[in-house]
Amino acid sequence: METKNAPGPSRSPKDSEEKDENTMYECNICLDTAKDAVVSMCGHLFCWPCLHQWLETRPMKQLCPVCKAAISKDKVIPLYGRGSKQQEDPRNKVPPRPAGQRTEPEHTGFPGFGFGDNGFHMSFGIGAFPFGFIASTFNGGHEQRPHNMFQERGATNPEEEFLSKLFLYVAIVIFLWLLIA
Amino acid sequence: MAANIAAQRIKREFKEVIRSEEVAKCAIKVELVGDSYTELRGEIGGPPDTPYEGGVFTLDIKIPDTYPFNPPKVRFVSKIWHPNISSVTGAICLDILQDQWAAAMTLRTVLLSLQALMASPEPDDPQDAVVAKQYKENLAIFERTARFWTSTYAGGPPADDDCSRKISRLMDMGVDRETACVALSTYNWDLERSTEQIFS
Repeated sequence: METKNAPGPSRSPKDSEEKDENTMYECNICLDTAKDAVVSMCGHLFCWPCLHQWLETRPMKQLCPVCKAAISKDKVIPLYGRGSKQQEDPRNKVPPRPAGQRTEPEHTGFPGFGFGDNGFHMSFGIGAFPFGFIASTFNGGHEQRPHNMFQERGATNPEEEFLSKLFLYVAIVIFLWLLIA
Repeated sequence: MAANIAAQRIKREFKEVIRSEEVAKCAIKVELVGDSYTELRGEIGGPPDTPYEGGVFTLDIKIPDTYPFNPPKVRFVSKIWHPNISSVTGAICLDILQDQWAAAMTLRTVLLSLQALMASPEPDDPQDAVVAKQYKENLAIFERTARFWTSTYAGGPPADDDCSRKISRLMDMGVDRETACVALSTYNWDLERSTEQIFS
């Protein structure tokens, strides 16, 4: 992995100074400059093939080879240096390096009256309620399922339809009770 | 391919050991046996303030094809009197050479760990039960024995006169040096009991 600033091959015969600098990026298993580099949660750098083989050697006891912290395949982070494009795709190699884990930022605020990606949250607040009444659509709590409300309306399964109706009646009762009180 | 990693790594480690400051202090040393990088000879200087001080202990190191995913096989060639090292075969009882091995460990860390083991024995997890028993029951005798072995087998400082004299006595009776040494060491340098055991 060519993560350093100096151009050219990683091991120029030039001097020992540069070599010392490179030891920063040495795999802790093969002691060579890390290829298809991954880093553990405890911060230790490895070539992915080296770490994979280490994890395979002791599948029952997966510990960091350096500090013996608990590690696993799912908890290592691949490092993509700028020069990494020049390398061949690590996925073509066996075993594949685990993919980076991207977490979507959390949506904040009101989910836009159901026009957003998320299913309509069942809030019986007065504000949301009349809209729910008009649209007459209540989803049965399948929160993380991305779908469009209007497409979904015709295609809901019987169970969801039943739940929708049930909530509709409950809503009407509460609405009437609020008017009376 | 695995064997290739092993050889590559040993080459790198070899340089690391040679350049390390411990070599400068003569504490550890590694040299190749043949040119296959699978067999090496290690040396550890006896740690100061121990009965092993002044001795140089030779080790036999075999690198498996699966190195560094599995530990090297290490054995003492120099005879040594230590609770965690067999006084007969030189086999070592040390967790990092068995299940506690980790791939980031190197020849240098193994040799330094062995040096640390020499300085602080673990008699409750013994490799040699006879030695461990002596260590726990009579530390002074243990130290005397260990010092004698260091002198005899690892080039340590001159041996205890009393021990040498007893060994000579047994040798006069036709017993070879090694048998005499083992018997006297085992029976806390009690000449009568040792003689009894040898001739019974």
